[in-house]
Amino acid sequence: MRTLSCLAFALAALAQDGATRADWTYHGGTQLAWRYSALDQVNRSNVAKLAPVWAFQTGDYEMGLQSTPIVIDGRLYLSTSRSQVYALDAATGKLIWQFKYPLPRGTVPYGPQNRGIAVGGGHVFLGTYDDYLIAIDQKTGEEAWKVNLDDVKQCGCTITGAPLVVKDKVIVGGAGGDSAHRGYLTAVNMKTGRVAWRFYTIPAPGEKGHETWKGDSWKYGGGATWMTGSFDPALNLVYWGVGNAAADLDASPRFSGEGEGANLYTASVIALDADTGKLKWYHQEIPKDVWDYDSSYECVLVDREVRGKMRKLLVHINKSGYAFVVDRVTGEYLNGYPIVDNHNWNTGLTEDGKFIGRVEPVAGKQTLICPSALGGKSWNEVAYSPRTGFMYTPSAELCNNLTVVPQEAKEGQSFTSGNWIFRLAPNATYGSHLDAYDPVTGKREWSYPYKYLLLASLLATGGDLIFTGDPEGFFFALDARTGAKLWSFQTGSGHRGSAVTYSVNGRQFIATPTGWGSIASSALPALWPEADAFRGGSTLIVFALPQEGAR
Amino acid sequence: MIRITVALLIPVLACGQDLLKRGADLYNKTCANGYCHSPGGTSGSTAPRLAARGFDADYISRVVRQGIPGTPMAGFGTVLPRADLTAIVVYVASLNGIAPSRNPAPREEPEKKLPPEAAQGRELFFDSVRGFGRCATCHQADGQGIPIASAIAKIPTTVAELRQLQTPSVRTATVAGESFPVTVVSQASKQTKVYDLTSPPPVLRTFVPSAITVKDGSQWRHESVLSAYSDADLQSILVFLRAVSKS
Repeated sequence: MRTLSCLAFALAALAQDGATRADWTYHGGTQLAWRYSALDQVNRSNVAKLAPVWAFQTGDYEMGLQSTPIVIDGRLYLSTSRSQVYALDAATGKLIWQFKYPLPRGTVPYGPQNRGIAVGGGHVFLGTYDDYLIAIDQKTGEEAWKVNLDDVKQCGCTITGAPLVVKDKVIVGGAGGDSAHRGYLTAVNMKTGRVAWRFYTIPAPGEKGHETWKGDSWKYGGGATWMTGSFDPALNLVYWGVGNAAADLDASPRFSGEGEGANLYTASVIALDADTGKLKWYHQEIPKDVWDYDSSYECVLVDREVRGKMRKLLVHINKSGYAFVVDRVTGEYLNGYPIVDNHNWNTGLTEDGKFIGRVEPVAGKQTLICPSALGGKSWNEVAYSPRTGFMYTPSAELCNNLTVVPQEAKEGQSFTSGNWIFRLAPNATYGSHLDAYDPVTGKREWSYPYKYLLLASLLATGGDLIFTGDPEGFFFALDARTGAKLWSFQTGSGHRGSAVTYSVNGRQFIATPTGWGSIASSALPALWPEADAFRGGSTLIVFALPQEGAR
Repeated sequence: MIRITVALLIPVLACGQDLLKRGADLYNKTCANGYCHSPGGTSGSTAPRLAARGFDADYISRVVRQGIPGTPMAGFGTVLPRADLTAIVVYVASLNGIAPSRNPAPREEPEKKLPPEAAQGRELFFDSVRGFGRCATCHQADGQGIPIASAIAKIPTTVAELRQLQTPSVRTATVAGESFPVTVVSQASKQTKVYDLTSPPPVLRTFVPSAITVKDGSQWRHESVLSAYSDADLQSILVFLRAVSKS
């Protein structure tokens, strides 16, 4: 306890503030992506009394509700998988406006999925399933501007991630890294909708890094940016995860063997100047990825001591089942550690961040690889609490049989060069676990095991609680210090979204999307037949403590 | 009589078996892929199981060709040659207990193919490598592209004409002291919608009428958005446009 108090004091002294308070302003809470709120009205001593106060049914059940709500000044903004947006009174759930986007008439690559909107400059920003970025008037729900960022019928790409507001711009990525597609990150002027810059994650001929690509493979080399990045205002750097190269399982047609790294800047975290989109540094986590270990997840920005020296850090997990710690000023690799128990694709990670003893899939023969292409962690996001100093991480202990089937690139078409069949990890007694880690050393402080996969994001609060939900429909709270389960509530449908907390007139609310669906969830019934009964849905359920005097 | 039937059946069955094998190979390459279906149509990947689902051949054929709107299931009707589509349908049908047809595959209509220069022009028109500089950022042709500009009605006869294209529909808007080129999409009592053409891609912007003034005439020139192409490229693009306007 004394250690913890000292730690809390030391952390407070840094004055790095990644906590939210009354509002939940950004996808990851703040631009630092902690998914942590300082609110502590609901805490370990009273969480058992937490009760639902309102629910909002979106009516859009396709692919479940995978969103993160944004809450500003008592209004809650919520998007659904088919690009519908709602503004609600955050205290009562009353509908204020609804933005009706036309429902898909054609195929949507990977299916319609939306993980959230962004709010800034009087607008709500929506990336649509058909590759438009739209600014909606925050007050009225009317469209202010709309710009097409790619042709969904041609590119095999779709926008799934929440945009990120950075100064006068809104930055948005795209999915499509398993199609024959060249990834990018686009910054748009918040006021006008004009494209300010676009950073292609694969350099064009003549640009540095292009030499790492063989022949024309760069044109369709993947490198998607399908989740949401972070921003450090002091450094003016935007951080974003970039997915693996396509074709996923077969590197021979794309890997040139020239230059440093492989197939740059795929399988990397990139740091870009926020004003110009120019590359400041990159850290390639898995050079020559052949397992679909996609590095497109969130970048958590924390300041912590490393070997006796305070460092500005970026902690990042990809699908490989490893976390990577880098200096976010320079991109220098500092540490890496596994977050899953089953990681047979390598025999070790060297001190300078190189994987040795790699086990690679081959043509015409199944190779059992753990973790699977669904990821040692799926996209559902981690949380970081400055009070405990722990990073909280969901994991998935799945494996897959990989077989390489070489393919030729056809723009916009699926381009994985192989298939995967998901398998439970050998001798596994659980499908996943939620763990507390020292984010720098990777020391696991506690672990909460779970039978199926935990596919919802985590929320950490100043009440020393960790909230998340499971596929069976339970929304629950763990003690942030011990992992003990303190409360749970059956919401009626499984969880694949991201809970947030906020306050209105001094009352703390905890809002969770419920609604089972998504690509990963569709893999469950083949692994656990009873999962076929997990029901879809699309509802936001909001909890609070009963008010004094209220019945 | 029996002898005759057998003699007739053998080549037909062989044809069915060849088709089945080809269908299986094509399925493994095209359908049993990453986030899509599993080999053999079993469950185990993320897209639905296809074996023993009770699908009939018509349904399989329709879905393979057209896809399922609103889902990840893409239509392959314009992606794969028709003979390949038939083979895949035969294979997936076989997973649903439908034996390869004793009738030879239906006679397919000849596929439309553009002449080489037009095909080259098509590629350039939609070329992703050119980013927002490609024609398809604003124009639709051959059923593809983002139709921001009105349909291409009159195809310029020469590259010079294309470069110097008159664009009377481009006007000048002024909003809060800033002037920029626009095309007007709609002007109603409550809102004015324009495409802001300042730089590609165009932005569809909505204003209350009092916030925007629009005047005829503009400094904007079509030539200013053609920098991604050489004259030779533009020549091929014109050939492509002519080819698809005839069909």
